[in-house]
Amino acid sequence: MSTTPTAPGTATAPGTATAPGTATTPRAAGTPGATDTPVFSVDGLWKVFGPKAHRVPADPELAGLTSAELRARTGCTAAVQDVSFDVRKGEVFVVMGLSGSGKSTLVRCLTRLIEPTAGTIAIDGEDVRAMDKTRLRELRRHRAAMVFQHFGLLPHRTVLDNVAYGLEIQGVGRAERRERAAQVVAKVGLEGMEHRRPGQLSGGQRQRVGLARALAVDPEVLLFDEPFSALDPLIRRDMQEEVVRLHREEGRTMVFITHDLSEALKLGDRIALMRDGRVVQLGTPEEIVGSPADDYVREFVRDVPREQVMTVRTAMRAASADESGDGPAVAPDATVSEAIEAVARTGAPARVMEGGRCLGVVDHERLLGVVAGTEHHDPGGAEHGVVAGAGKRKEVA
Amino acid sequence: MATVTTAAPRIGVPGALKHPVLRKLLLLALAAAILVPLANARWASGSWPAALTVDFSDQLTKASVWIIDNRDSHPLFVYFFGHISNAVVLSVRAVYLVLLAAGWAGVTAAASLVAWRVAGWRLAAGTGVALLACGFLGMWIPTMQTLALMVVAVLASVVVGALLGLAAGLSDRMDKILRPVLDTMQVLPAYAYLLPVVLVFGMGVPAAVLATVVYAAPPMARLTALGLRGADKEVLEAVESLGATARQRLLTARIPLASHELLLGLNQTIMMALSMAVIASVIGAGGLGDRVYQALSTVDVGAALAAGVPIVLLAVVLDRVTGAAGEGLGEEPRPNGRARWLFALAAAVAVAVTGRLVGRLDWPEAWTLNIAEPVNRAVDWMTDHLYSGVPVIGGTADWAAHFTTWVLDPVRDTLQWLPWWSLLLIVAALAWLIGTWRTALTAVLAMAAIGVLGVWTPALDTLSQVLAAVAVTLVLGFATGIAAARSDRVERLLRPVLDVFQTMPQFVYLIPVVALFGVGRAPAVAAAVVYALPAVVRITTQGLRQVDPAALESARSLGATPAQQLRQVQLPLARPALLLAVNQGVVLVLAVVIIGGLVGGGALGYDVVAGLAQGDLATGLVAGVAIVCLGLMLDRVTQPTERRAKKGA
Repeated sequence: MSTTPTAPGTATAPGTATAPGTATTPRAAGTPGATDTPVFSVDGLWKVFGPKAHRVPADPELAGLTSAELRARTGCTAAVQDVSFDVRKGEVFVVMGLSGSGKSTLVRCLTRLIEPTAGTIAIDGEDVRAMDKTRLRELRRHRAAMVFQHFGLLPHRTVLDNVAYGLEIQGVGRAERRERAAQVVAKVGLEGMEHRRPGQLSGGQRQRVGLARALAVDPEVLLFDEPFSALDPLIRRDMQEEVVRLHREEGRTMVFITHDLSEALKLGDRIALMRDGRVVQLGTPEEIVGSPADDYVREFVRDVPREQVMTVRTAMRAASADESGDGPAVAPDATVSEAIEAVARTGAPARVMEGGRCLGVVDHERLLGVVAGTEHHDPGGAEHGVVAGAGKRKEVA
Repeated sequence: MATVTTAAPRIGVPGALKHPVLRKLLLLALAAAILVPLANARWASGSWPAALTVDFSDQLTKASVWIIDNRDSHPLFVYFFGHISNAVVLSVRAVYLVLLAAGWAGVTAAASLVAWRVAGWRLAAGTGVALLACGFLGMWIPTMQTLALMVVAVLASVVVGALLGLAAGLSDRMDKILRPVLDTMQVLPAYAYLLPVVLVFGMGVPAAVLATVVYAAPPMARLTALGLRGADKEVLEAVESLGATARQRLLTARIPLASHELLLGLNQTIMMALSMAVIASVIGAGGLGDRVYQALSTVDVGAALAAGVPIVLLAVVLDRVTGAAGEGLGEEPRPNGRARWLFALAAAVAVAVTGRLVGRLDWPEAWTLNIAEPVNRAVDWMTDHLYSGVPVIGGTADWAAHFTTWVLDPVRDTLQWLPWWSLLLIVAALAWLIGTWRTALTAVLAMAAIGVLGVWTPALDTLSQVLAAVAVTLVLGFATGIAAARSDRVERLLRPVLDVFQTMPQFVYLIPVVALFGVGRAPAVAAAVVYALPAVVRITTQGLRQVDPAALESARSLGATPAQQLRQVQLPLARPALLLAVNQGVVLVLAVVIIGGLVGGGALGYDVVAGLAQGDLATGLVAGVAIVCLGLMLDRVTQPTERRAKKGA
């Protein structure tokens, strides 16, 4: 049991992540559509491949084994082991892990493209595993659309017809679906390519088609399965920015699977880090980088430029009376690297200002501490215990 | 494991036993040590022991007599086979009449215009010229007969094949049942299908069409199933993630995704149907094949060539046009495609109507070109000057005679001299080494069945021809393949030749070899070599060219000579392709060696033809079954395991 199910509206902060200073708060303002109802609520989810898979989650002894032990004992492979999390409305929820960690299986379980072995999945409070065929089809048609790693486009159809395919499946008339598809094609920046075939497009363009196809059905939540792994780095960055832009414009809930840590940090409001089928840590990018749950996570985030992820809210200390009066001002959600720039320019400690109020200050010492990774979480700051930043958009390279 | 090649018994026997090949051989030797003395003591004879044969000819004769007697009265025939037979006759007749009514001008125009729409103007011109050539050769009517039979047979094959393929593509259980059957049907010589249909339907067009359907439907079924199964998993997953129903998934994704395979299947079905429609002339198909068959039986090479050329032209045109249709699939649809189709249709109708009004429906007599006589004169000249007595190199007939006495006879005599059980052992060892014990069992049982049927001696005669032909094919094929793989120029030169040769029906190959070598076993072997060579060359070249370039580059960077690269990198890495080439070579060679019975090859092929010609179906059927067994055995002995999926070629 690496994670515990929590009530809607609270971040699921497992293990050591619940250290002082990483308590949970409602989402920061500025993220559109953020409310307290979870879109997906996953509890105790298992997916086991192999003979008599059902006995594994049921048997506490088997359930406690690691993947390797389980395979040796039963011949079964547990791709997803006892995973619980909530996806809140309007957030970008990133599931991140190396290949084989079970993240792709996990996202497929959400709409039962892969049938889960045990556990519960609810979408807007409705039990997904209890759905019959028709209801499930309804869910896939209208509520959750997926973007695939290798695009999954139909090679014999034009871009427009590929984008309109989801609507066609729903039985939308030809003229209407083409019109709606054309709008989405424009939205993802593929105007003028409507009549090309997928074979004539570049990788990035194809994934735009995949994205457009998912958007065309106007789903409540978008599922991304490593959508940009197959793309060149530059194109990947373009596409990431495209997703950021879409999220900012539409505020659609997204579940994003990736193996790329920088992508996870860049896009994620919250990140679930998976290893061997289990979630080893779930939290905001800042929590993952700032307080790794165990050595695995620490090793994982070692090379992350911390100053670009950590916010001054974490790094600040209480301001002395004379400090709160002058010096450069930075927002609490500003990254340490932005504060460094301000401090370097003026030579004075920077004030963390929110709504005209000084929350604290960051000076050379504090900032260098973050960069060096030696900062300590003493409750020095007046409001240090409050960690926000869940909804911030950082400019990480 | 480095020294397992030493067979000497050492202390470390358990270690040697770990090597699968040695273990298999040891087990087999053990079984042989027990069984052989037993078998030898009871049935000591070089040839298959008479005590172990079962004579089926009485029952078979009775069965065929019963069928002939009851064909017009028994309900099974009246209400089932009778309807099929009538439907086939009627539809072939109808198509034939339509073709005749359209007249030569109409048919040529329609064919060219279809080719234009499907494959571009170049192939359209080729199609027109090819059809006109058929007319010039005086073969318009037979061509139309063959075409009518083909149209019906291809339509039926495609329907049957697509349905079977759909079943195998969508259901795992059906796939498990159908796949071995289809795979086996693919390796059997065309001749094997003739007798059973003749038994039920008698000689004539229905039997010919049905034999063609049985022969031509499997590729369609296999490729349909392959296409449906090979669909990109992620595309199907994407389609499912959008909430498609099973029906929507099939119609909007699986079938369109398989369209390349479907068209390839159509192409192969057409080519196989043409090949069979020609061979089926021996059971009354009529048309071009019949002309060749009649001419060959009187060794009239000129007449055979006059009918053979239209067959080749038809084959090339049909192959290119359907092939081009498959290639043009992924491209952007051209504007006003529908209008162009309409124009093509209107033009064809206009030409046909004009032809009718002018009264030129039949090919005008005056326009025919009699090539039979000049060709025969040339053949006579060859007979006089090239057959024998050419200084130094001898003559073609001499070569054939030498090949027969120095190669074919010794091989045949050795095979027939070998004790029967030793042959079974060899078969078992070969099949087991390359496959599993199941493969070995199938091969041995097939071989034993030949003996039980009482055709051991003629079967070994056929086998000797196959072995000789395969040896020649492999030597020539590997040499050419290696040359083509090493030099782009050689490959460029070879490609068009191979393309043409691979599309020609088996039957046609008999014509030139009869002209060159006369009749006998050597010409049959020569025809088989020529027929099998292109496939072997092609597979070898492809296999060598597909060798991982990185491996080759690393060998080159270590300073390997070209010979070392070939021996140590390319050949070992291309092993699967080379084994496939051997397997294909054997299968193709067998098909033609059997047909070689028509030109003096004798043995099993001759039994089938003789059985048909004399109405002695029992002999023919037994020979047919023996051919099936021989084909099965040869395929298993040369077929590496886990190759089944890939045999599109």
